[in-house]
Amino acid sequence: MTQLDLIRNFCIVAHIDHGKSTLADRLLEVTHTVGDREMRAQYLDKMDLERERGITIKAQAVRLAYERDTTKYVLNLIDTPGHVDFTYEVSRSLQACEGAVLLVDCAQGIEAQTLANYHLARDAGLTIVPAINKVDLPAAQPDEIAKELADLVGADPEDVLRVSAKSGLGVKALLEAIVDRVPPPEGDANAPLQALVFDSMFDTYRGVIAYVRIFNGELKTRDKVRFMAGKFDVDSEESGVIAPEPTPLPRLGPGEVGYVVTGVKDVHQAKVGDTITHAGRGAAPDPLPGYREPKPMVWSGLFPNEGGDYVALREALDKLRLSDSALVYEPESSTALGFGFRCGFLGLLHMDIVKERLEREFSLELIATAPNVEFHLIDQNGVESVVHNPSEMPNPGTYERCDEPMVMGTIITPAEYLGPIFELCQDRRGEMVDMSYLTPTRAEVHYLLPLAEIVFDFFDQLKSRTRGYASLDYEPYGWEASDLVRVDILLHGEPVDAFSSVVHRSKAYQYGRAMTERLRELIPRQMFEVAIQAAIGAKIIARETVRAQRKDVLAKCYGGDITRKRKLLEQQKKGKERMRRVGKVDVPQEAFIAALTVDSGSPGKGKK
Amino acid sequence: MTGLYVHVPFCLTRCGYCDFNAYAGLDHLRGRYVDALLAEAALWSEAWDGDSFASVFLGGGTPTQLDTPDLVRLLAGLRESFRIEPDAEVTTEANPDTVDAAKLGALRAAGFERISFGAQSFDRTVLASLERVHDPDSVRAAFAAARTAGYHDVNLDLIYGAEGETLASWEGTLAATVALGPEHVSAYALTVESSTPLGRQVAAGERPAPDGDRQAEMFDRACAVLGAAGYEHYEVSNWAKPGHECRHNLNYWRRGDYLGLGAGAHAHRGERRWWNVRPPEQYLETVARGERPIGGFEDLTGEDARLEEVLLRLRTTEGLEASAVDADRAQPFLDEGLLERRQDRYVVTERGMFLANELVLALT
Repeated sequence: MTQLDLIRNFCIVAHIDHGKSTLADRLLEVTHTVGDREMRAQYLDKMDLERERGITIKAQAVRLAYERDTTKYVLNLIDTPGHVDFTYEVSRSLQACEGAVLLVDCAQGIEAQTLANYHLARDAGLTIVPAINKVDLPAAQPDEIAKELADLVGADPEDVLRVSAKSGLGVKALLEAIVDRVPPPEGDANAPLQALVFDSMFDTYRGVIAYVRIFNGELKTRDKVRFMAGKFDVDSEESGVIAPEPTPLPRLGPGEVGYVVTGVKDVHQAKVGDTITHAGRGAAPDPLPGYREPKPMVWSGLFPNEGGDYVALREALDKLRLSDSALVYEPESSTALGFGFRCGFLGLLHMDIVKERLEREFSLELIATAPNVEFHLIDQNGVESVVHNPSEMPNPGTYERCDEPMVMGTIITPAEYLGPIFELCQDRRGEMVDMSYLTPTRAEVHYLLPLAEIVFDFFDQLKSRTRGYASLDYEPYGWEASDLVRVDILLHGEPVDAFSSVVHRSKAYQYGRAMTERLRELIPRQMFEVAIQAAIGAKIIARETVRAQRKDVLAKCYGGDITRKRKLLEQQKKGKERMRRVGKVDVPQEAFIAALTVDSGSPGKGKK
Repeated sequence: MTGLYVHVPFCLTRCGYCDFNAYAGLDHLRGRYVDALLAEAALWSEAWDGDSFASVFLGGGTPTQLDTPDLVRLLAGLRESFRIEPDAEVTTEANPDTVDAAKLGALRAAGFERISFGAQSFDRTVLASLERVHDPDSVRAAFAAARTAGYHDVNLDLIYGAEGETLASWEGTLAATVALGPEHVSAYALTVESSTPLGRQVAAGERPAPDGDRQAEMFDRACAVLGAAGYEHYEVSNWAKPGHECRHNLNYWRRGDYLGLGAGAHAHRGERRWWNVRPPEQYLETVARGERPIGGFEDLTGEDARLEEVLLRLRTTEGLEASAVDADRAQPFLDEGLLERRQDRYVVTERGMFLANELVLALT
């Protein structure tokens, strides 16, 4: 057990790409937590996907040993997920800390996520240690950015640390500042155990491993513990700290950060935000505040590419669920795509990650329907029902009101792009809440927007209209009644459920046009004319036609041609067999994929 | 029935669209090639002893690129190796520029009674686009010479849908054809084969691929014009005055037996299809060693045989035995008017012919 006054618990919060992981690497190195030989770039990002995308999907915690004037400090670095999809996880990680290094790339300046994370950290009562990174870059403007950052956090520009995470410049000074400025944790070793689960992971051999911060009491290996929200007891098989490999310790005391091996086989039982206490008489009367069930915000149907893989998909989801407590899914059957699952995700990035993991780790080929949000329908008697599949949205008139989820979006941008941003937000049914200038040339705008509009390629649009300079962050902001309609797409009179979409009435025509035009390009000509229609209920709002196929013949077929031409037809036959039949119409798999792929452009994409 | 195909791979020039086993500039091999054909015939003579051949077809390339005496001794030699029926259909293909009255007369006397001219078009622009060196007038001249020589079975080959060909131009070609009054007309939608110079040009975007819709319109014109002139449309690309259908070709579509002689020639007997080596030099060398110049073979059973049966039978108006396919699968095509039921057979309609692949795929 470590003395409270020798512990510092901190995290690094930053906008994507501002160098958080590189700084973490450097801290591990400077404190000799990781030897040079084991060092690999972005040590803490364990999943291949994380390292490839340069993002942190799951938080981790690592214990650093730092010695100053013969005093041995324990610094716990809690790495937070840096993405809007995981705001709740971020808040739990912040809860485990007393301080936060607010890191800003001084070639970029403050971005939307910088602000969002700063506000989260401040609201969590954390001491902020402002730092600017990449000071050695030619494009760096350390003085300007230091001032910008100092203004934001209400500090003196002198107090802003100047770091190059890449070269290690200023990293020692940063460690000093962490020890000096971040207050040590408080807690009572004699009180009943209260440990916050700020992350959990699933290990095939050891079951669920919970990452915890002890607030009160002591946790010993082999203690019988209780998950208070999960409402179950378990024997802790092992507990210890990550330094940076798991190192068992006999006991963890107040203020300490470590892990508990539970042996539980389902990560859903050890959810982020839960409180661990002792089972039985030693139990704490109350859990730590702030627990929340993970709530899916974005939905999409996942279908196996080749019909037969449904069982494989189910097994893969069941496995993935063990390590992803936010993933929810239920069986779905689509007339066009066959059997699959309707899955709920925390956000677009989470959706991309799940799909990519299914494809990569389980070798599945998937078709994902365009993402949509959840709708709440309220009937005449005030009874609410939830729809998260557009094809299940009833016709207007069968309900009194339809609510859709809203978000508060924060956009930070060079002032010259404000025009295009207003235009985009206007077009996306946004309502400006306020606007201010961070500097004379950089503005911060807040917009209230329907989440459904963000889900529909908003991020890509924002990037392309601002040459990549604007940044976006958003947080859930309640529900609002909206005039939404279901637009169906019909092929030869037959609705294709996978193409149904719920859109605002003012956009129904635009959506119908775009979709029918797109499909006209994608659907091969058939023996008969194929009408592609967009409809609201019984009313057709757009129509395109695929003209009938007029020629499909082998002009010549004589003695010398027969073998070759038979093989040609065999090829053609294989192509036909890969198509899905909707009513009378053969639709190639690629057409489904292309028509459904509205690039979500989640903010986590695109980083090398 | 049994047919005999003889391949002559020599051409004056190579046309950009043609993917046949044909060569320009190998004329020096012609005499040896005829010797080899006769030697190959002798190698097969015993094996085909029990067959009597109801057709002989000289195709190419350009068979008339051979000298008249070579052609005469070739046919005579074949008669020595095989039993060729007295009333067999004996055809040679001919390039209008490689025949004159004397040659046509000599061939008629030697026993060739059917002649097939590669006319392709009566429009100079289209001929140029196809890289054909002959002139529409030389087709007329050759045709007249054939009549004078006593041929009562003349075919004209036509190609439509080449770059630069308009609907009006195609109608002109059809009118010119009808005016000559051949007994048989083959009209082919130009097909771009990837292995040809044209195929490479199309792939590189240097020339446009033929437009299927426009070819379909041209097909419709051909059906109308030739039908009105008394030709029966008996196969996807073939029309004939009643009684003048090409028996040799019908035998292919009925999956009959045939022997193929010459470089790259194909043969069929029972379940087996085989083919000779393609390069003329290799063909000559193999035959010179006293070996059959077989390049490959396949034995067709099960699904493959069924696909072939449907694919070939549906090409002609003789059609396919109804019991060979699932009635439920045929029904949509009957409804669409692309297929007809005639007693116990399914027959493609004229409209269905240009969509024959779709039918084949749906029915197998």
